[in-house]
Amino acid sequence: MAMNDVTPDEEEAGVPRVRIDGVGKRYEGSNGPVQALEGVSVDVSAGEFVCIVGPSGCGKTTLFRIIAGLESATTGSVSLDGDRVDAPSTDLGLVFQEYHLFPWRTVAGNVGFGLEQTGVAAAERERRVRKLLDLVGLDGFADTYPRDLSGGMKQRVALARALAVDPGLLLMDEPFGAVDAQTKKMLQDELLDIWTETGKTILFVTHDVEEAVKLADRVVVMGKDPGHVRETVEVAVERPRSRSDEAFGATYERVLGLIEG
Amino acid sequence: MAIDVTEDVDHTTGTPGDVLADIDGRRALRGLGGVLVFLLVWTGASLTQPSYVLPTPFAVAETSYAQAASGELFVALGNSVLHWVPGAVFGTGLGIAAGIALAWSPYLDDVSSPVVRVLRPVPPLALVGFAIAWFGINHAGAAFIIAVGAFWINFYATYGGVEGVSEDLLDVARSLGVQGDLDLIRTVVVPASLPEITTGIRTGIGRCWMLVVASEIFGVPGIGRRILRASNNLQVDVVITYILVLSLMFLLVDVAFRALQRRALAWR
Repeated sequence: MAMNDVTPDEEEAGVPRVRIDGVGKRYEGSNGPVQALEGVSVDVSAGEFVCIVGPSGCGKTTLFRIIAGLESATTGSVSLDGDRVDAPSTDLGLVFQEYHLFPWRTVAGNVGFGLEQTGVAAAERERRVRKLLDLVGLDGFADTYPRDLSGGMKQRVALARALAVDPGLLLMDEPFGAVDAQTKKMLQDELLDIWTETGKTILFVTHDVEEAVKLADRVVVMGKDPGHVRETVEVAVERPRSRSDEAFGATYERVLGLIEG
Repeated sequence: MAIDVTEDVDHTTGTPGDVLADIDGRRALRGLGGVLVFLLVWTGASLTQPSYVLPTPFAVAETSYAQAASGELFVALGNSVLHWVPGAVFGTGLGIAAGIALAWSPYLDDVSSPVVRVLRPVPPLALVGFAIAWFGINHAGAAFIIAVGAFWINFYATYGGVEGVSEDLLDVARSLGVQGDLDLIRTVVVPASLPEITTGIRTGIGRCWMLVVASEIFGVPGIGRRILRASNNLQVDVVITYILVLSLMFLLVDVAFRALQRRALAWR
């Protein structure tokens, strides 16, 4: 298991892969200013799998967009390997709930998109796309258009596309929120396999407590009004994790209690 | 890693680009019936009228054959094509470019919005004076009139398409290394709005055939000129002949472009 798979360099420097430092976000709403986030601080080590959970309206998605560089924080900052994030870049692989695939490109075209932009030669690109499709279990679908894919398959393409440019952080916003329960479970298992295989650092936003406890090394629980970090819960449950596990149940209850509390 | 890809895959993919796939037998038969009824009514009506009011379909067929046999028809068609092509190409190209630029840049949009609103309702025919003054009584002048018509159709179609491009797709593209406006336009904006852009092109090139008549009103030779001259001489059979040539050209170009469009949009 690739838990805390920190390279010696980064460990010596003591810089976490991701540092979310006192992030606050204030909007000008129609009824005056709205404080969406306040003082959110989270560190994520290289290779770590961290889930952010919270009730709807706690600013999870706003936080996601700030970490991704799609929106700027009013206060505080986000840095990746010590560099401040202020715009989207290939250092951050984004996976959204609604997939956002390029409908005019085939599966291979979607996965290879980032490689084309970063100037990877065609032959090398093809090799890497094939490898990624294999990784997400979509070999044989290279020439299929997104319209002919199920939700679960679309999300696999989105994941492969994000992984293609080898980002330092994989940032996922409720990626399995739009698929049925069975597909969701399958995709979760696959994601854990891919995480193990690639050693990626993953920051995963969800409202599903069970999903968070199943996947994460640590669960960051957020509260609302304004969005803030309530507590961070270590998930000390052996993998592969089972719902019927006593430790799983206890962690689940604890996180749920924090959200409802 | 055991990954099972047995989720519901939609296999309703047609055969894109196949124009004939559209034609279903019953529809074609009904259409043929409609044509026959039309010809019958026409024949009936024409028998009660002098030929300068409404010639019979047979008279028109005869005239058409004579016009084709003498080569006059092809000369007129060739002349019209000589301004139709540059008019359609320039009008379409500039319309698409302007549509992308104004829909993409709020600054350009603000700057040009008042001017666009004033120029938009001007009918191409009203610009004949400028066509003559700027280009002369020649193919370039006629092409100018045609281009104006194509421009606005393509401008608005493209503008709407670009406006509708999902912000999320642009975010994804940025996170995958696309930097700068031109690269975003090339990699995301144009392909994403291709359905609207190609619909604009298709509507525009059809409109260009209609504008052929207007564009020749000031003396440039072609099909329109023939129609106008024959009208003055009450040669209604000649008028109908050249109207049919316009319709046929419109139809041919439309079918050809539609096949292209389907191929380009096979992903839909």
